Amino acid sequence: MRLVALDAAAEAARLTPGQNLSDARALVSNLEVREIDRAYIEQVFADFADWHSNASPIVAVMTDVAAFGDLVLDITGVQHLFGGEDKLLRMLVGRLRALGFTVSGAIADTVGAAWALAHFAPGIIAADQLETVLAELPVVALRLEPSQVAGLNQMGLKRIGQLYGRDRKGLQARFGASLLLRLDQVLGRIEERITPRIPVAEYHAERRFPEPIGFMDDVLMTTRDLAIQLALRLEAEGLGAQSFHLFLYRVDHKVMTLSVNSARATRDADHIAQLFIHRSERLEGEYDAGFGIDMIRLAASSVSPVESAQIGAFEIRDGAADIERLYDRMTSRLGPFALLRSKFINTHIPEQAVKLEPVVARTEDDPAAVPPPGLVRPLRLFPTPEPINVIAEVPHGPPMRMIWRRVAYKVQKATGPERIEAEWWRSGKRLALVPRHPQAEQAETGLPQLPGLQPFQSTSTVRDYYVIEDEGGRRFWVFRVGLYGAEATPRWFLHGLFA
Amino acid sequence: MASLATAELDALRAKIAAIEKRPVLAEGAAERAVRPAGVPQMPARSEAADILAAPAGVLHEVFADEQRLSGTALGFTLGMARSLIGGERQAILYLQLAAEAQELGLPYSIGLERFGLDPDKLVIGRIESLTELLWAIEEAIACRAIAGVIADLAGHPKALDFTVSRRLSMRAAAAGTSAFIIRYGRQREASAAKLRWRVMAALSAEQRFDAFAPGPPRFVVEVEKRRLGGTSQRAENSRLTLDWTENGFVSVEPRLGPQFSNSTPISRPQPAALGHRLSQAS
Repeated sequence: MRLVALDAAAEAARLTPGQNLSDARALVSNLEVREIDRAYIEQVFADFADWHSNASPIVAVMTDVAAFGDLVLDITGVQHLFGGEDKLLRMLVGRLRALGFTVSGAIADTVGAAWALAHFAPGIIAADQLETVLAELPVVALRLEPSQVAGLNQMGLKRIGQLYGRDRKGLQARFGASLLLRLDQVLGRIEERITPRIPVAEYHAERRFPEPIGFMDDVLMTTRDLAIQLALRLEAEGLGAQSFHLFLYRVDHKVMTLSVNSARATRDADHIAQLFIHRSERLEGEYDAGFGIDMIRLAASSVSPVESAQIGAFEIRDGAADIERLYDRMTSRLGPFALLRSKFINTHIPEQAVKLEPVVARTEDDPAAVPPPGLVRPLRLFPTPEPINVIAEVPHGPPMRMIWRRVAYKVQKATGPERIEAEWWRSGKRLALVPRHPQAEQAETGLPQLPGLQPFQSTSTVRDYYVIEDEGGRRFWVFRVGLYGAEATPRWFLHGLFA
Repeated sequence: MASLATAELDALRAKIAAIEKRPVLAEGAAERAVRPAGVPQMPARSEAADILAAPAGVLHEVFADEQRLSGTALGFTLGMARSLIGGERQAILYLQLAAEAQELGLPYSIGLERFGLDPDKLVIGRIESLTELLWAIEEAIACRAIAGVIADLAGHPKALDFTVSRRLSMRAAAAGTSAFIIRYGRQREASAAKLRWRVMAALSAEQRFDAFAPGPPRFVVEVEKRRLGGTSQRAENSRLTLDWTENGFVSVEPRLGPQFSNSTPISRPQPAALGHRLSQAS
């Protein structure tokens, strides 16, 4: 067990990170130690990073050295909003200090240089002084592996400046290509990219509050204002967007995100605001403004050109726009998987021939999948076929009597069978050299189940379907799996109800 | 004389409907309007069709005695709702609680197609809670592009009380969108629905070439409530036997139950043609 992080008191007692715990205990008898929960800290730090997107849209957690602790902001083009670079840095560092964090920050032209400065010489550095300032820093500031640092130190190469004029081939041979890469990154000879935590939205509108706000109603009112601003921007460029994201920046460094989607690209501020109102109704319980929200940003993504609609006397109303708006509204409140449309899939297996897909995420129809006319199919299908007990007159004939849901039925009329073969060319059982894991096949049934109902293996075998009608005129769609005379007794299932 | 009386009656009906802010039975009025005066009135529309005809913008309740009749109830409702599609009203919304899908079955679009409904026009809503479902009905009713909303409820939830049904009924009337609530069981609660149907299944007619094959689906429909203004209430307690054919509902000779012997008999030697758009029943 080793020490990972220390507080000020422990540092004063001359403990160092990486020290053996027993050694540290020997030095400081009343040492308080807690086990580090890396996953938790990573999570919290990521949230913390998101919050910083109120200063700049591009925020990343640098994971080169540690999984948490290094925050990178691309401040290109945002300094002037805060009155210059030094004010921005002072603001960022200052507000974190005020929250009780130990922080050091730096602004430089390259990500590597900013890291080096933040760790070893906090401050702001101009582009032309980059090399001279960095020359004085230790080689650790290059974000190197511990072994590389040890090797460099052994050879007496302790400062970055000592590496400047060295033979690159020699360095690469001794310390690996990563040393050269780091060196080039620090000096800006190679571009280094950061991966933003929150996708960068080109179109967004934001508002900051001098006093934090807390009520959802206020948030929604602001959203409406922002939607109008955003809509004007989109309109000026002839664009519309399908996804809208609302970022609520809380005073206590957390960000809440609400997203809504629209079936077709839109820039109607009323509609966008309405979608957020419905979305907010869905989360009533989980909304927590904490100590208040001091900034709200509304961003648009999935941007595509939208033609300006002319409202005129000769407008043809086909209701398509109305209905898509209804779907948007309902989806934003009921969730994306609430409203579904049927999509035909090119297969004979009845339960797979129709797939329900969200109306707002509709995909291209397959013209080959449209079922042939005259197919006898029930009006309602049970997501899982229900096992029934059947007495058949002749082994391969239609049922005479059946028991379904503990009620007996006497069959009066029947037609069939309609034989549906298992799709052996798709099941993969004959082709796959390695048999598939049985659990992977079961995972696809995400449908509601009645208690005690076994999931049905749709790929199993041949089915013979019958339409039967009982004395009361109730019609059922039943099928038999397996054949009489085979090793296993055939089983019967009820799959659907006719009108 | 007869046509004069009809004209007068129509005018009165229109007046009453205007007072009650409800669309008149549009088809009937149009049909009578084109007939020149003096031509004797022909029974062009059968009584059964008159009973089935309901203007858009009313709340229907469709009751089936048991949950296993969910297919029958849905079939009847779709048959009623299908005729509402037209113009800018292009979609029917079917709403169900997500937990009840296995109990009642999900509408299966290939079967719908056979029932004369374009699967693309039926949107299925699978909703988590009853509160959300009621919200969804209301929201959908208000939409100009929805032809009808069908809500399928397996249980007898407390939340669906008179106030809610009154609210839905008024919303439906205001927006001109019809709503159908499919319920199960024999229990009836106070409701403001203008129409209440009880739907039962009946053994289908014998097929000509195969006596053991099921024929076209047959429904027995009881009109439990019919408050559309005017003389519509007269049809209450009547019982219809309907076959679904590719042309829509066709009335067949009813089997009168003993408790309905006092209602208007609809006896007809031949299966009657239904409405101007329907051909002779097979």
